[in-house]
Amino acid sequence: MNAVTSILHTLEPHPFQLLNTEKILELLPRPVLVVGSDGLVVYANKASEVSFGAFPGGAVHALFTGLGTDLPDTSCAPVSVTSIHSGESFDAAFVSFDDGQYLVDLRPASQNQGIALKTDVDELTGLAKRNALLSHLSSALSNGSKSSSIAVHCLDLDRFKMVNDTLGHATGDLLLKKVADRLKAACRKSDVVARLGGDEFVILQHDVDDLAAAEKLASRIVDLVGRTYVLNGHTINIGASVGVAFGADALQPDDLLRNGDLALYEAKKAGRGRYRMFESGMDALLLGRREMEIDLRRALALKQFKLNYQPFLDVSTKRVDGFEALLRWEHPVKGNIPPLSFISLAEENGLIVKIGEWVLRTACLEAMSWPNDMIVAVNVSPLQFKADTLLETVASALRHSGLPAHRLEIEITEGALLDDTDNVIQTLNAMRALGVRISMDDFGTGYSSLSYLQKFPFNKLKIDRSFVACDDADSEAILRSIASLGTSLGMSITAEGVETAEQLARIRGERCTHVQGYLTGRPMGTDQIPAFLAQHIL
Amino acid sequence: MDNSLYRLVYYSRNQIGDDGAAFSSNVDEILAKSRVNNLRDEITGALLFNAGCFAQVLEGPLERVEAAFERIQQDERHGEVSLLAVDPISHRYFPNWAMGFIGTSEAHAKRFADVGSSSGFDPSRLSGEQIHTLLRDLAIEEEAA
Ligand SMILES: Cc1cc2nc3c(=O)[nH]c(=O)nc-3n(C[C@H](O)[C@H](O)[C@H](O)COP(=O)(O)O)c2cc1C
Repeated sequence: MNAVTSILHTLEPHPFQLLNTEKILELLPRPVLVVGSDGLVVYANKASEVSFGAFPGGAVHALFTGLGTDLPDTSCAPVSVTSIHSGESFDAAFVSFDDGQYLVDLRPASQNQGIALKTDVDELTGLAKRNALLSHLSSALSNGSKSSSIAVHCLDLDRFKMVNDTLGHATGDLLLKKVADRLKAACRKSDVVARLGGDEFVILQHDVDDLAAAEKLASRIVDLVGRTYVLNGHTINIGASVGVAFGADALQPDDLLRNGDLALYEAKKAGRGRYRMFESGMDALLLGRREMEIDLRRALALKQFKLNYQPFLDVSTKRVDGFEALLRWEHPVKGNIPPLSFISLAEENGLIVKIGEWVLRTACLEAMSWPNDMIVAVNVSPLQFKADTLLETVASALRHSGLPAHRLEIEITEGALLDDTDNVIQTLNAMRALGVRISMDDFGTGYSSLSYLQKFPFNKLKIDRSFVACDDADSEAILRSIASLGTSLGMSITAEGVETAEQLARIRGERCTHVQGYLTGRPMGTDQIPAFLAQHIL
Repeated sequence: MDNSLYRLVYYSRNQIGDDGAAFSSNVDEILAKSRVNNLRDEITGALLFNAGCFAQVLEGPLERVEAAFERIQQDERHGEVSLLAVDPISHRYFPNWAMGFIGTSEAHAKRFADVGSSSGFDPSRLSGEQIHTLLRDLAIEEEAA
């Protein structure tokens, strides 16, 4: 009898039944599932949700690799499985109920080494697993003079999750096999290729004479793994990001892998589909980011965020139409931290959704105190669309503040339309149906695909400041054509970053309808707005 | 496994270099290998080289075509492989060619001039369908000659 079933047994006859068994299972830090005879999950505790993304009604075969098509006989030894969701390895023991259901008890593989025999080979790909890699690494590192001539390449697949989500785990598994083949093809026989789980691979390269040899392999991997795959008639494009670390920089296998991971992190941050060599500054960088992340998580609760508002004016009437809400972080020690240095971090760790919600609610509330029908424009990150709660948040921000919908303008960037365009456009249409205005921010800096303009009738295009700041012929031509294109589609055009009277005159000549910049008003607190409006003339 | 008939079309950049001798020995090798493998795999099609590019049509059972393409993808003799089409087909367009090679004869050079820029045949400007048609027309001429 294993631990879980013994808990269940001891509890049932207890006269008081103080704790219910489901509560215990929820609290149990290790995954437990109940699976029906049809292979569908009947019950999944909290830990299995975390480790496997398990949910009632899902197929048990979609949760791990390593399970045969039939559920194992209860009498057989625990089966080694790997979570598709997290890549962790577990030993799965099956206990059958009378009615054909199974209890599946999942023990983290590392806890019971020696109990169950585990092979060092990844079943799916035939590559080495973590343990085998670690032992290769330690023998290479302990080999004195030779340790300077090894390199590790830590590798992550870009967009792999999307393949799994859209084409299914079976195709995802096939793809992992092909990736494994390509990695082997790129390496020499003496190198070790390992899969640590999920889409995480590590290559131990031997006899690395110099930096160039490691770079050559890394770039070959990026190239080769990034080439198109054809699987079951589907064309699949993924990429590889690689972080490289040298044996000379580390004493322990773990340090070497950590250095490789740090470099991998940098490669991904630099835009994926590339490799980065480990540099000693990278730990400090990461440390700094960690600190910032901790601070950022607290910033909302500690009310360190504040909104400032920059006016935008109608060029023809010379009146202020509204204000764009700009986020400020007033850090108690570091002072004012500009959005540029924390927004990308907030997007990386998902905090942007919470912060964005705060911005929306606060902006709507504060705008209620402004005179006239001033519009408040609020920036929305592409990630807020992904979170799927944006529409709800907008509606509730309006409801709670009492702000009429036509006074809210949502600013999106082209980035929001890159992925999952149809869904994003659906959300935009729903917001528009509420009466909210939608504008396209930073136009001209990204992909500037004109098809976006056709897909959704924006109320306004905001032309990036760089086209206003440069007075060369090219910028001017771009400014002019965006403006005339936009106006012909019935959109307002805002020129951003207008700082001088000459620039104002120029953009007026180029058919821009609105202007925003230091010349017409710096960002200010909400309490300064009435005074600003009272004395303002263009 | 899916063994219905498929057609795959791609083009790529030659990375062998412009040393004439190395190039022709490499191409000879590719062709020899392709003919043996493709006969075994029931794959037919055509390969074209010009102005630093390869363009190839592979047709055959899907699984075999995928396996051949995977080997071809890993080949260091070319790069920047652009996959133009993977479609089911009702019949083979190159029934007699384990792998025809359409090279650099004068007649062909003239033909490429029609479809390409002044620098020669530029497959990046063509769709999978166009390359397919082009290769097939050239193959028919070759057989007639
Ligand atoms: C442009 C190009 C086209 C090729 N076409 C084929 C082909 O049609 N069939 C094939 O088997 N190999 C082809 N190859 C060769 C493969 O890349 C690979 O070297 C070969 O299939 C390996 O065969 P083997 O495993 O039997 O040694 C081609 C290579 C290049 C560079």
